[in-house]
Amino acid sequence: MQRLKAGEVNLGTSIMAVQFTDGVVIGADSRTTTGSYIANRVTDKLTHVHDRIYCCRSGSAADTQAVADIVHYQLQMITQQSGTPSVATAANIFQKLCYENKDQLSAGIIVAGWDKETGPSVYNIPLGGGLFRQPWAIGGSGSTYVYGYCDATYKDGWGRDETVEFVKNTLSLAMSRDGSSGGVIRMCVITEEGVQRLFVPGNELPKFWEGEEVLHGKPVKREVPVAPMEIEI
Amino acid sequence: MDPSLRLVPSGPSKVASIQDTANSFGLHDTLTYGPRSLAAEVKKSSSVKDRLENWEATQDNLKLNLQRNAYGLHAPVRMLMERQIVGHNPHMPAFRTSNIHLDILMGRDETLECADFMMPASELSQPLDIHAEMERKLRM
Repeated sequence: MQRLKAGEVNLGTSIMAVQFTDGVVIGADSRTTTGSYIANRVTDKLTHVHDRIYCCRSGSAADTQAVADIVHYQLQMITQQSGTPSVATAANIFQKLCYENKDQLSAGIIVAGWDKETGPSVYNIPLGGGLFRQPWAIGGSGSTYVYGYCDATYKDGWGRDETVEFVKNTLSLAMSRDGSSGGVIRMCVITEEGVQRLFVPGNELPKFWEGEEVLHGKPVKREVPVAPMEIEI
Repeated sequence: MDPSLRLVPSGPSKVASIQDTANSFGLHDTLTYGPRSLAAEVKKSSSVKDRLENWEATQDNLKLNLQRNAYGLHAPVRMLMERQIVGHNPHMPAFRTSNIHLDILMGRDETLECADFMMPASELSQPLDIHAEMERKLRM
């Protein structure tokens, strides 16, 4: 899926953004890899592009940093000229850059934020440079493992705390299955009031099935008695 | 100004041409450059070399396009107009001239590049063909 050039650093990742009634919650793991070496185990993949607009970066670290820098620069210019831009504006600038440079970039970006006209919104910009507005979006190599969990769990109309739980659980599951995701969970809650950063260290990640029976030798109790097999001699 | 938001120079286009050695008729100038050679005509361009040579121009073009998107077409047009006014040199082609006003407009007034202090002596000699230089300058 990722077409990295030789020596490039990979944000093999799990990122996600979910919209709720008053804002958005964005989250990401913290692993940056160069091949199998973890170049940075505490990366911050949630990048500020404007006061209430953040983006989650996946793919090549260099490519996404370059694109995010340009969008940040452009949004500052636009703010001077015509006031606070909407999340849609920021997402469209990302999309323009990703599409026009699609032959050279390897960048999957999720843009999320809050603005006065629309309230909260999440925009997914996958590899080719398409733009998709969704209530929740997941991305990165780890996202493939949690589509089922997300589809089964997500409900409309959640508040802030339920959404934070959802993001935490999803990223935890993705990080436990994907080799290129791991470390800590970083989250941002973006609302009209401001941006609040949340941090979940590696030893406090939510735990799911961990194979107790196999690891600690606890035999599984059989409920149904097994009938002896008939053998012909 | 190329209306695209390219972040980095795109790959080289494969071309064979005699533009470098063309005289005023548009043909290869044997008197100045010697007989035609295939090696000179087929441009085997190095991707690294092209990328480095076109780097500054691509970044500048990107900034102009971002200005166009934010403020309107007039913004980059004015920038380019100012550069053209300031870069106009009425003198005959002579030694390398310095243009501090253009450097300021291009944002390189406070930087030093290798070319600024590592110039081989050959570059400081008289140009060989002043007529050709003048023709090129006045686009005859």
